[in-house]
Amino acid sequence: MTKLPLETQPDPTLEERVVSTLVVAGLVRRRRVWPVWVAAAAAVLVLAFGVTVFRPTHTLAQGKTYVVLLYEDSTYRPPAGNGEERVAVLARWADSLSTFGKFERALRLSGPGTLGGVFIVRAADDADAARIAASCPFTQWGGHIELKRLEQ
Amino acid sequence: MTDDLALVERFLRGRGEDAFRALYRAHTPALYGLALRLTGGDRGEAEDLVQESWVRALTALRTFRAQSALRSWLCGVLVNVRRGRIRADWRIVDAPDVEPLADTTGRDDAIDLERAIAALPEGARDVFVLHDVHGYTHREIAELMGIVEGTSKSQLNRARSLLRSSLP
Repeated sequence: MTKLPLETQPDPTLEERVVSTLVVAGLVRRRRVWPVWVAAAAAVLVLAFGVTVFRPTHTLAQGKTYVVLLYEDSTYRPPAGNGEERVAVLARWADSLSTFGKFERALRLSGPGTLGGVFIVRAADDADAARIAASCPFTQWGGHIELKRLEQ
Repeated sequence: MTDDLALVERFLRGRGEDAFRALYRAHTPALYGLALRLTGGDRGEAEDLVQESWVRALTALRTFRAQSALRSWLCGVLVNVRRGRIRADWRIVDAPDVEPLADTTGRDDAIDLERAIAALPEGARDVFVLHDVHGYTHREIAELMGIVEGTSKSQLNRARSLLRSSLP
């Protein structure tokens, strides 16, 4: 029988796709370490002004817009410190979503109530949005997440 | 084998991106080659299979035992992922139109064989690819596919017979 090759090189873009998926799934840690001054600056913006901290760097994917609401309820147990580490973790998550064009923006909220932050994401459908929300690293510190579809 | 173990241990220490990329680059060409044949040359489906296989593999990597080769273990993961996908949506498409695979360009006999393999019925194709192309034993195929060895042998005979009749 003709000997067939056992290996075939896939499209080079597959590697990034797989890595991003694994990062979103929490199975691989991103190489990039955010410099302390970047994290600190972001933390200052987040904590002091409640403004947008991340913006998408890729073209947005087709689909619907959803809002991932982060609640810092009575179960919320943030690690000690000024929040730099949490900002960096959430920024990496947003970065991995952005690779797929699924990240629109993030907001930090202040004031009464337990709603502490919002991620606006793009998803193909409700199931896709649920997968994205489930991959959010926020709940490692407690609290809870709610997902809402933005009515156009 | 030793290199594989070192790569696995390095990855498990910190689950770092660089360590994963080393694993990916060492084994994805084999996974993708297998996926292409199991899907009859459907590149999109093969890429999805490879991606899902890496997710499954990393989830279960701590269960990998050094007694088997990492590549065989990963290929087993891929075969099971494919079986799960078939069960999930039972879309089985026979004999898709396939383009010649890149690695066989310029080799007419290999291209004919690739096309003939792609045109095989699903079960026969899986067994043929695993046994005659990738060197799995009937016992290994039976374990991977959840069938008895006799079924593996009969599917292989069927595949070979169909190939003989379809090739010039």
